[in-house]
Amino acid sequence: MSNATFALEALTGIPQHLAALAPATTDNPKADFSDTPWWLSLVKALLIFVYLLLSTLLVIWFERRVIGRMQQRPGPNRTGPFGLLQTLADGMKLMLKEDITPAAADRVVYSLAPLIAATMAFVSFAIIPIGPDVWMFGHHTPLQLTDLPVAVLLVLAVAGIGVYGIVLAGWSSGSTYPLVGGLRSSAQVISYEIAMGLALVAVFLYSGSMSTSQIVAAQSSLWYILPAFFSFVVYVITMVGETNRLPFDLAEGEGELTGGFHTEYSSMRFAMFYLAEYINMFTVSALATTMFLGGWQAPPGIAAINSGMFNHGWWGILWFTIKLWIFMWFFVWLRGSLPRVRYDQFMRLGWKFLIPVTLAWVVAVAFIRGAQLGYLGDSTVGLVGREFPVATLVIVGVIAALALGATWVWEGKQADKVARESAPPPERIDPYAGGYPVPPMPGQELVEPSPAISGSPTPVALKEDTRG
Amino acid sequence: MTGLGEQILFWVLGPISVVAALGLLFAKKAVHAAICVALVMVNLGIFYLAEQAPFLGVIQIFVYTGAVMMLFLFVVMLIGVDSSDSLVETLRGQRWAALLLALGLAVLIFTAVGTVTFGPMQGLDDVNNGAGNVSTLASLIFGQYVWAFEITSALLITAAMGAMVLAHRERLGQRPGQRVWAERRVRSGRNVAGLPAPGVYARSNAVDTPALLPDGTPSELSVSRVLVAREQVTTPVPYITSAEDVEGEIEEGYER
Amino acid sequence: MTNPYVPLLFLLALGAGFAVLSVGTSLVVGPKRYNRAKLEAYECGIQPSPHAAGGGRVPIKYYLTAMLFIIFDIESVFLYPFAVAFNQLGLFALVEMVLFVLTVFVAYAYVWRRGGLEWD
Repeated sequence: MSNATFALEALTGIPQHLAALAPATTDNPKADFSDTPWWLSLVKALLIFVYLLLSTLLVIWFERRVIGRMQQRPGPNRTGPFGLLQTLADGMKLMLKEDITPAAADRVVYSLAPLIAATMAFVSFAIIPIGPDVWMFGHHTPLQLTDLPVAVLLVLAVAGIGVYGIVLAGWSSGSTYPLVGGLRSSAQVISYEIAMGLALVAVFLYSGSMSTSQIVAAQSSLWYILPAFFSFVVYVITMVGETNRLPFDLAEGEGELTGGFHTEYSSMRFAMFYLAEYINMFTVSALATTMFLGGWQAPPGIAAINSGMFNHGWWGILWFTIKLWIFMWFFVWLRGSLPRVRYDQFMRLGWKFLIPVTLAWVVAVAFIRGAQLGYLGDSTVGLVGREFPVATLVIVGVIAALALGATWVWEGKQADKVARESAPPPERIDPYAGGYPVPPMPGQELVEPSPAISGSPTPVALKEDTRG
Repeated sequence: MTGLGEQILFWVLGPISVVAALGLLFAKKAVHAAICVALVMVNLGIFYLAEQAPFLGVIQIFVYTGAVMMLFLFVVMLIGVDSSDSLVETLRGQRWAALLLALGLAVLIFTAVGTVTFGPMQGLDDVNNGAGNVSTLASLIFGQYVWAFEITSALLITAAMGAMVLAHRERLGQRPGQRVWAERRVRSGRNVAGLPAPGVYARSNAVDTPALLPDGTPSELSVSRVLVAREQVTTPVPYITSAEDVEGEIEEGYER
Repeated sequence: MTNPYVPLLFLLALGAGFAVLSVGTSLVVGPKRYNRAKLEAYECGIQPSPHAAGGGRVPIKYYLTAMLFIIFDIESVFLYPFAVAFNQLGLFALVEMVLFVLTVFVAYAYVWRRGGLEWD
């Protein structure tokens, strides 16, 4: 035991040798940090920090360029090669701008809010496994800052603290738009956090652990996007809602609330909110990668090459980064394609669809898992040369039947609706029947305007009407 | 004995928690008090983490930040954003009575806590390194304490009912949607194309400046009725006169 | 390093340090030319109202949402250990959990029927 580890043991009060003794049937982390001295952790923390900052600089440029292409314009292309330094230049410019605190603001809280938002954004990335074990400065250590038996919950908890940045910014500005924006945002985040948490339960049912390294290890044969496909869909929807991004960026909808919670902020304090938003995007994307796409593991075809050569060492960073950027691209794509939803529609989607359906899905997955584990009887049946547990087949059959029934009912209703709406229009139309001229549909014949025109409700009033 | 790191943690976060708890009592603004509560809750969560109870610690932060968020909204909603406590005593001598009772309670608690004897410390090492913290907790919840767990669901129903009774307002009719409003406008034949937009002038295009009708009078309809009620409507007169000045200049230019 | 929380503190410190440093720098190097109009609340050009919206009060609706959030939050808090330990728990826990979810669903159905989920 070196001097440093001894000092650490004294500092933390946890014996160093115990971590290695964990048996296989445990929900504790799989990543082994016993050969990671504290200075190496500091180096890794620094690397993650730099990785996040650089990625943020890059993704803002990426977003503007891609959206530019989607809107058939070049996007920023002047500062540096391909405009790559545009974000840096913007940041420098923000730094040289005046930092305004409104007179009505609560000064302490107003200063504190952006700091909370930015600081909390960084923390969650600590538990994301970026790669497998590597040799680093003569130590064998996982490419992950740290891991906990409750790592995924930690992300949710830290996100919960991060919301305080938003809601306090809204309150402390002492102004109407930020207040409404902050309230909206908090209601939005808490509504979608439930569905997100429930979606993750299905993954935990399969992995048997909430530690991210365990979850990645459990996906070595099958990525959870397949058995938990519905959770994946729900997670992707909620992660957009959680990060206040289009089409769910109601907290800062410029058409109605100018800038939302950061209307009054300027200079670097505003930049902190901006930074936090993008880092949060990276965090939720990284979590999606870890939970559903096998984390740092190579895609199935590549993983088989040369007995898993690409699944070792530093290769993990490559796969992880690719998967991460697929999600970032998806965020940008959404922003380029979809208009903002209305607030009541957004809340209805969250409370009336996502939550009950995800809850039902979790129960269904619990039954499927129970059948797989043999809780519901052990009898098996041979089908196409393979043995299947009867219980699994029954459960899957019941779920499939229920899903089919639901779709059938829904489709019937949709068909009725379509039939009602697409009923052929009458052949003749009186354009003034309702009092206002209505143009005929194609193939419709016009009735000659009847004298009813003089009796139409009110001609355009010359005098102003009272508000109706 | 606890480790050195844990002691340092305790002596750093302990005072912060106490100060924050006192802040809850003495903060004048309700929102500051709510922030103090959040700080205490997060600190408690960190203490649980240090006590080798990771699940409990994270859940403490996870749930209580949510709960305090609710409290925060509740506070803001009930009493208004900027309101502060009034320091006027409503009951005579209330302050002294409260102080006396608090002292009595403190003495009671300290004597009760002071007589407690602790057994040898067990720690959670065995559990945490065996089946794992969360799994062991689960086997307790679904084993020994399964009844309490089921009762919790009844508690949650009660909470939902309470919230509905306190905060929900029944709506008697259907709320008119966007479509209904549009149809209603067409049927009544008034403002069919919507209300007129506020005025746009060279020096102002804010919503508090009314538009001009063809005869030159300002249109009241073009300004939000909230602004009218608050008497925040400005007149377009200065903008009109300045526009006329500019026109004069242009005409002069023609004549030259 | 077996204490898993210390690296978290490292990252927290880095993030906090960066935030404080950049905000502090901009306070130092940024211009300071104050005037009264700049310090008023921003309301798109109209005379700013003295208080934030609605006399500073917000709809009680938000309280209901927050309360429902807590209810589902607690439900999911019980679901987590259940999911993690499911392969050790057995059929009994599954039945218990289904009962629990159904009971909480009663609350949900009640709120829905009473119109508590309508947002207007």
